[in-house]
Amino acid sequence: MITIALPKGRLGDKVYKLFASIGYDCSEIFDDNRKLIFENKENGVRYLLVKPSDVAVYVYHGAADIGIAGKDILDECGLSLYELLDLKLGKCHMSVAAPNDYKEDQSRPIRVATKFPNIAKRHYMSFNREIEIIKLNGSIEIAPLVGLSDVIVDIVETGTTLKENNLKVLEKFLPISARLIANRSSYTFKQNEIDLLCGRLQKVLEEK
Amino acid sequence: MQNFINSLPTEDRLPLELSKLYEQFGYQKYCMSKFEEYGFYSDNRDFLSTDGIIAFNNSAGKLMALKPDITLSIVKNARTIPFANARYYFNENVYRISENTHDCKEIKQCGIELLGDVDSHATAEIVLLALKSLEKIDSDFTLIISHIAFVSSALKDAGIFGENRRKILGFIKRKNRHDLLNWCEENGVSSEIIERLIKISSISGTLGEVLPLLKELVTGEATAAAYEELFNLYNTLNKMDLYSKLKLDLSVLNHLDYYNGILLQGYVKNSPSPVLSGGRYDSLAKKIRGDGGAFGFAVYLDGLNLHYPNNKEFDCDALIIYEQSNSTLLKIVNDLCQRGETVRVEHQKPDCIKAKRIFEYKNGNLTEVAE
Repeated sequence: MITIALPKGRLGDKVYKLFASIGYDCSEIFDDNRKLIFENKENGVRYLLVKPSDVAVYVYHGAADIGIAGKDILDECGLSLYELLDLKLGKCHMSVAAPNDYKEDQSRPIRVATKFPNIAKRHYMSFNREIEIIKLNGSIEIAPLVGLSDVIVDIVETGTTLKENNLKVLEKFLPISARLIANRSSYTFKQNEIDLLCGRLQKVLEEK
Repeated sequence: MQNFINSLPTEDRLPLELSKLYEQFGYQKYCMSKFEEYGFYSDNRDFLSTDGIIAFNNSAGKLMALKPDITLSIVKNARTIPFANARYYFNENVYRISENTHDCKEIKQCGIELLGDVDSHATAEIVLLALKSLEKIDSDFTLIISHIAFVSSALKDAGIFGENRRKILGFIKRKNRHDLLNWCEENGVSSEIIERLIKISSISGTLGEVLPLLKELVTGEATAAAYEELFNLYNTLNKMDLYSKLKLDLSVLNHLDYYNGILLQGYVKNSPSPVLSGGRYDSLAKKIRGDGGAFGFAVYLDGLNLHYPNNKEFDCDALIIYEQSNSTLLKIVNDLCQRGETVRVEHQKPDCIKAKRIFEYKNGNLTEVAE
């Protein structure tokens, strides 16, 4: 039995369809109810529906053997996990954005509003730029518009939200997509099952 | 006695069983102080697996540290014996600052260190002891073996150094072949080297299965020597019962500044994180002692009670309820204890205690009663 942590929402739905197409279906998952755990003993699979940002935590602590998490979440949490496949879903970029008329003042640290403080710190540290982090949990785009920060570091897919808020992308620095992750201990004990699943998944992805 | 040991919680049972195991193989117990001068650890920070050292001033104003690591202390302080290897085992606590919660943590560790001439016999002995240590926790276990010198030398032979090396080691550690491939292609790495790096990150299986694949990845003297070391280990251990529990996986690359050869990482079925970690650390031994080889491992006991709870059905064999004691009650209790039973004496039956048998003590007589 493999336990898979799926992110709730659109990405999770897409990924579930992928898994179902390679023999890991669990039809109950589409029933109209509030259940968060679904199991299909015949197919040897159990799904946990969890908040996207928690997938890596469930896998790291072994509550799930494998899971699907965005590269942004993985780089931010820095947990020791295997990252076995790039599903090439939910593609976007981690970017630095600022108001359209922004001009950097090099005489002081940049104030950076972000949901991803570790990624932001690492990025600016790579060229030794001093910053001040303002950790937010959502609506990051507002921060530079009301003077809370100079720039934001956030994921940008189409850029529409930025445009509508008079912001522009200054720099794209980390490509993001959904990754198949595995707990190191689970991989050790269930290597054949996990490798088989990965192989099937990779084949489907290549055919797409 | 063995029944009593078996009845103990895992974190209490294991130190006793592991101590016996290590003594059987000629290791001597090494006891150490909880404290060491802070300067010693800060001078050797590269070799510490943690950044968080808990420091304090002693009564003389000297900056001290609660020991964050056992190996460093043993390598610095242990006496070596002329013409013999120093073999020590330990059963100690280390003190670190948790990376997640930033709280101070006390971590129980048991393990061994061998200082001196780490030849093929000594290597196999330590790997066997690591296997046997894991078996004491759970019969369903796996010991992963890796070789830092093999991977480092393969990168060196491929002309990969500095920041690029760090980046590629990161991909290998996570078995992240997709980003490894993308990065190599973007940075002009030849397809032959990319293929080799992807194979290194993929290798995982028993020594017998994967050694032929590893042989194909030998690129120079250093990788050949590392391969030879693993091959000798295979030749020694494949005759042992526990051989099937040993796996080679080159993605296990921990503490690259600390270890320089064979690396060990042990997993047991119920624990999501490794419970055993160790390896060859000659460079640390050379820095501190000036000579010799060194190899050891530690079993992390913390959390094992959670993953391996002690599911005792009864809290005691006999519960004696009494109203008034007289001189015979204690004798009765003592007699039962001498017969190997666990006994608890109370005025009333506590709700939280489950006893195999319940007795009533009245007027000097003991009568078994139904629960």
